[in-house]
Order: sequence, then structure tokens, then C-alpha cells
Amino acid sequence: MNILYFEDIEEGDEIAGLDLFLSKDLVRRYARTANMYFPRFTDDEGARAEGLPGMIAPGVMSMGLLARMISDWNRAATIIRLGTTFRNPVLPDRMIHLRGAITQKNEADHTAECDLWMENDEGERWVVGTATISLPTKL
Amino acid sequence: MALDFDRSILGQVFDETTFPPVTKEEILEFAAALGETNPLYTDEAAAARGPYGGLVAPPTFVTKLRAKKFMPEHLPRFGKTGFDAGRDLEIYAPVRPGDVLTMASSIHDIYEKTGRTGSMYFIVIRNEVRNQRGEKVAVIDHRIMQR
Amino acid sequence: MARILDLHLHSEASDDSRAPVEAYLKWLARKRDERPIEGLVLTEHRQFNRAADYRALEDKYGILILKASEVETDYGHMLVYGVNDDILARFDFRNVRLNAQELINEVARMGGIAMPCHPGRPTIGLIEHYQKKPPLEGVVGVEALNGGSKKGEDERVAGLVQAYGYHAFGGSDSHLVSFVGLCATEFDRDIKNIEELVEALRTGGYRPVDFRPKKPQPSVTPEGLTYGAGL
Repeated sequence: MNILYFEDIEEGDEIAGLDLFLSKDLVRRYARTANMYFPRFTDDEGARAEGLPGMIAPGVMSMGLLARMISDWNRAATIIRLGTTFRNPVLPDRMIHLRGAITQKNEADHTAECDLWMENDEGERWVVGTATISLPTKL
Repeated sequence: MALDFDRSILGQVFDETTFPPVTKEEILEFAAALGETNPLYTDEAAAARGPYGGLVAPPTFVTKLRAKKFMPEHLPRFGKTGFDAGRDLEIYAPVRPGDVLTMASSIHDIYEKTGRTGSMYFIVIRNEVRNQRGEKVAVIDHRIMQR
Repeated sequence: MARILDLHLHSEASDDSRAPVEAYLKWLARKRDERPIEGLVLTEHRQFNRAADYRALEDKYGILILKASEVETDYGHMLVYGVNDDILARFDFRNVRLNAQELINEVARMGGIAMPCHPGRPTIGLIEHYQKKPPLEGVVGVEALNGGSKKGEDERVAGLVQAYGYHAFGGSDSHLVSFVGLCATEFDRDIKNIEELVEALRTGGYRPVDFRPKKPQPSVTPEGLTYGAGL
């Protein structure tokens, strides 16, 4: 289990990334639990009928995975703000790479600003975002 | 410009939905569907010894709440299709099993841009989530793109 | 003075960025070895940030900071350098359907320069419009390297540059702090202010430079990965 205090992180630090194979079954499972069991998230034909290239993952699933990346990286970080832009439909049955970095530390309230993004094997950033996390202090 | 609508609609609550109590199973399944291994979200006994004194939901849990009315009735449609363009989530209090959540929805903003797919209209729906004690739990700004 | 400038990025003044200018500067100071950027040009969306004064930050970080705009036209998005009161009086930058030919002509007449950005991008890039409409007059250069491009979008620009004899430049199009300076433009001469930038862009002697790391993707197979405990 990884615990990082405010004093342990620096601006410019990378957040440990996650590399996942996003299978269609995982997307369907998320869609079911998140009340999003709609054709665009569950089957290719239904998605094509809506003008998409095939079934896609809900944007909020990517958002949830970016939040999980922070939780996996640092169990002591509490997300107090998370903003994401869904720039491109996330197509499953492929590798996705979740990445992040600490961009600003705020000494006054022991929070930090992070950049977060999800990219494919080609390095196209399909989802980008930022988060504010609160961290415990050793003081 | 083609962006023509009654701006008095901005900020008015057009839906308020109260949901059934959050269950432990719901939280565990939501966490599992994201592959979360954080005991705060996945292990009741371990979470009881943690900072919240019990199981809490992962931060994006509130994004699964579905309002009864997704859009105001009289809002014009700005395009044929709609896509989820993004969310901005602010978190104020944890969600726990047994919580009864109420979500109030209003139109926060409407604006226009051009992108890879042509003219795009963005509708920002602001969803404010409170619990049974009236505490603010989260604010979710939901950007919907129509074209 | 600067020879290597990121000609395209957005600060928190733009609607879809939360990046403070100082955070960009601190990031560049930290990554100086990988991204030797000497100047930033803030190209805010559909506006000119007239009020912003970055002189104190310039002095503190030793990086030239210039202001410009990214606007939307009937030939796609364009970066406008050398924005002044005449240009702002002539055009409403909030209008997402500006007439590209008018913009190029008038901005040039009023002392600035309007240059198409990410020309390989669908709908908002110049190439698609050239397939349907006559080419624009007076285009001097295009953004041939854009940090936000998808695979194939920048590759399409080589043909455009060759066919029309355009100059080529680069920019990160960063909306996030950590992407600043990943793509930029190298000039043959030193740039000290916006007038010199406009003059240099007009006359040539610059090229895109790519500072993106050539990162090897993890060599794992899908079968070798677990999604998380409990799955």
C-alpha cells in the first residue's frame, strides 16, 4: 500500500500510470452498474446505428479510471475536484494508458493540482483532465 | 449567430430527483467495475478502521445518478445528435451506504464552438447532490455537446 | 530574446484550460533540458486577453511571453499574431464563423498576421476546406506540427506546405500544464517582441521542432494484465 504525504510529492512528479486492456465485457459491466446500459455502450451494432464506429466506453468510465489511477498511486490522496474532457470516443478491445503528473502544490491548504489523461497506443489523448487532491501532512 | 435561446432559463432548477438509499452492494460493485482495490471502497472491515470509519463510494460514484428529467422541457435542440463532452466534479462529502441522495439540476451555461466535427453547441447541466442531512455532497457540471 | 517559441497554447483565460501561466513557466524551468523553450505565445480561444500583463513573470522566469488569439473561420481555426485595437474593432473574435479571407487580408493590412492552425484536422483545418473551396490568398505559413493532433493529421500537412509553398511552424496547443512546449518553432533570428514575431512569421526562416519523447509503449500482452482485484 502506497502512502504519500504532501511533503513527499514535488511539482513535476509523475503519477504512477496504469496500462489496461479495456475489454468490451469490462465496459458492459461498468455500463450496467452505472445505469448506462444503452446500445452505444453495450454492442457494436447498436452503436453503429447511432453513427459511432462501434461500441464505446462511457466518458464517466474513463473519468472513474483516472480517479482509480490516483487511488492506486497514493492511498492517502483525496480527490476534491476532478474535471475531464472527453475529446474522442474511447473504443474498447484495446490497450489504454492512463497517465498523470503533479503540476502545482499549494502549501496553504496541502492540496496539489494534477494533469491527468488517457491515451491509446499511438499517443492520442482521448480523455484529458485535471484534478485537485488533498494530502495529509507530516507536520 | 445561431445560438438563440431564452437566457432566463440559466440557473433555474428544472429537476429534483431523490434516489433510493445507497446500498453497500452498489458501492462494492461500482468500485469493482473500475478495478478499484482501495479498501476504503472495497473492504468494509478495513474501511471501518480508516479515516471515514466505514465504507465510502469512489469519487465518481455520483456520476451514475440519473435525473428523472435530463433536460428542461422547453430547451431547443441545437443539433441532431448529442455526446457527452465532459464532466467537472467537485466533491464535498463522502457517499456512504444508507445515504439518501437528492440531485437538483439546472442549466448552467450554453455556448458554441467549432471542432473536428463542425459547429458544436455545448449545454452545461449543473447537478447539485445533497444527502439526507442536507449536506452538499457533490456538484457535477455535465457538458453535453450537440451538433 | 528567444529563438525557440511555443506559438500555440492556452492558459486559464481560455474556456477549456485551467493552466495558470506561471504553472507553464515553472514546468518549463523544470524541463529545460528536454524542452528548451525560450518564449510562449498565449493564443486564447475567441478572445484577446488585452488586460493580462506578464512582464513580472517574464522577468522572474526569463521566458518571453507574448499574447495572441485563436479564432474560428469558414476555413477552420486561425492563430492571429499582432492583435491590436484596429483588428479588435474590425472583427468580433467571439464569432465562430469569421470570413477567413477577410481576416487574413485585414489583419495583414492592420499590422498583424493570421495563420491557419492544425490544417490537417477535420472541419476546423484548412486542408478539408481546400478540397471543397478555392484556396485562400495571402496565407504565408501554417501550423504543421500541433501537439493535439491525432495520428495522420500532421502527416497530411506536408503535401499542403509543398503544394502552396507555405512556411511551416509548430505549437503545443497545450491546455494542460505538463504539455507546454512539446511542439514549438525554431527561428533563425531572435524574437524580442510581438512586432518582431509578426515580421519573422511573414518573412520566413523558421521551422517546427518536436520535443515529444519517443516513448516505448509497455511490452505487455493483454493476457498478461489484470484489471484489478476481484475481476
